Amino acid sequence: MTEPHWLSATEIGQAYADRTLSPVELVAALLARIEKLDPKLNAFIRLDAEGAMRAARQAEAEIAAGQGRGPLHGVPVGIKDIIDVAGLPTTAHSKILLGNIAKADAAVVQKLRSAGAIVMGKLSTHEFAIGGPSFDLPFPPARNPWNRAYHPGGSSSGSGSGVAAGLFPLALGTDTGGSVRNPASACGIVGLKPTYGLVSRRGVFPLSYTLDHVGPLTRTVADCALLLDAMAGHDPADPASVAGSAPYAGRLLDRGVRGLRIGFVRHFHEHDLQASTEVAAALEDVARVLAAEGAQVETATLPSLTEFAGINRVILCGEAWSIHAPWLRERPGDYGQLARRRLLPGAFMTAGDYVGAQRRRSEVIAAVEDCLRAYDVLLCASSMDPASRLDDPDQTAHTYPRQARTPFNVTGHPALATMSGLSSDGLPLSVQFVGRYFDEATVLRVAAAYERATGWHTQKPPAG
Amino acid sequence: MDPIVAALAKAAGLDKALAQFPGDVTAAAEQALNNTGVVKVPTDPAAEPWPPMRAGQGL
Repeated sequence: MTEPHWLSATEIGQAYADRTLSPVELVAALLARIEKLDPKLNAFIRLDAEGAMRAARQAEAEIAAGQGRGPLHGVPVGIKDIIDVAGLPTTAHSKILLGNIAKADAAVVQKLRSAGAIVMGKLSTHEFAIGGPSFDLPFPPARNPWNRAYHPGGSSSGSGSGVAAGLFPLALGTDTGGSVRNPASACGIVGLKPTYGLVSRRGVFPLSYTLDHVGPLTRTVADCALLLDAMAGHDPADPASVAGSAPYAGRLLDRGVRGLRIGFVRHFHEHDLQASTEVAAALEDVARVLAAEGAQVETATLPSLTEFAGINRVILCGEAWSIHAPWLRERPGDYGQLARRRLLPGAFMTAGDYVGAQRRRSEVIAAVEDCLRAYDVLLCASSMDPASRLDDPDQTAHTYPRQARTPFNVTGHPALATMSGLSSDGLPLSVQFVGRYFDEATVLRVAAAYERATGWHTQKPPAG
Repeated sequence: MDPIVAALAKAAGLDKALAQFPGDVTAAAEQALNNTGVVKVPTDPAAEPWPPMRAGQGL
């Protein structure tokens, strides 16, 4: 049998049904692994061992009594520390919010608890999901299990690091400019930014109201679908939540890609930014694999990455300034330097700049919608480079904006990043699949077909 | 420091940041200028921002 810490959620559910594993056994095994590895990885800000074991005992009793709650019952999950878990601090990895105890679970945590998932604790992030990786914060930055000298991506850093290292099979992250898909790319796992409005943001500390998304990070596409199904759904308390959103994301997972039209947005990594040779070669290989599986792959064109990034930054800075202005005025020294530098620009933008970016946003949304009328799914780069060294701020500053994730925060389309190979240095490479609004099922279908054809998900980092 | 940046920072209430972290304030002002410069704002006055106001929807 696979070691418990490498079991997927799907396999965990089967093992519970077969009585070859119990929730208490699994959580005990994971806590032992966390005790051994997390001092080197820093995935956790706050481990809730007692709460996890209590939930495991409850799940075990319910399953034994035939009161199963579904496929996530008794499955452990880590929560990024900008998402509220009742009774635990939500620090956003910042001195500003030390001691900020959440009074209630975020809506998405409520949904996971209802599904029987076991909350393991709160996970490292960049400060307020924007300022990192940094060494001037109250908690150290998470590290990449493929090579601990490297950044695990961010801002959902602990989510990516912990899932990839086998500390927990599932995690929640948030994504305002790519912060679920970046750690998924850097750590060789699956990260999905759902359609804007599909998953409630209530109880999640905001970075940018019209760009923020909550998304799953997992080791397999099937787990991503399972977790998304548990997370999705209308929440009348979230003004962006969409009623009647489509559940059952995993319903097409085994359908393959034969007959699908896939638009390959090559200009993102060939012209707008030049990806590293290995990333570019891996992307061509993804296109080859999908074509061999029966998809029709053609070159597609969208507005430039430069413009998407500019729109994203103006909107993000404007909205984030409106949130952080009181603290930036009174407590600027309580921020780390990166967060301070990334949050202050909003003070120097005008209302006209913000509205202008939102007006241009309408046009680029229309351009992506036009493109997605011709294609079922788009294929493009996620990161242009493998992960950067954590102790090299210049390299991180160089590589961090070299990505193609922000377009889909601007437009709100669902976008999934997953592993597409290993670099010569043994670091994960990545690819991104993008779909029509609320058509996560087709995005997951393509990712599942690619996963089956290549088996990259079976690669494990050397950390454990 | 550019006096215009200093004046804008004071107008935004950033006196403490200006005194304690002048380099960060200057870098932020430069970043703001770079960001806004790349957005191709529509010239058609009828091009409306996203998301539109939707009366009667939401909470």
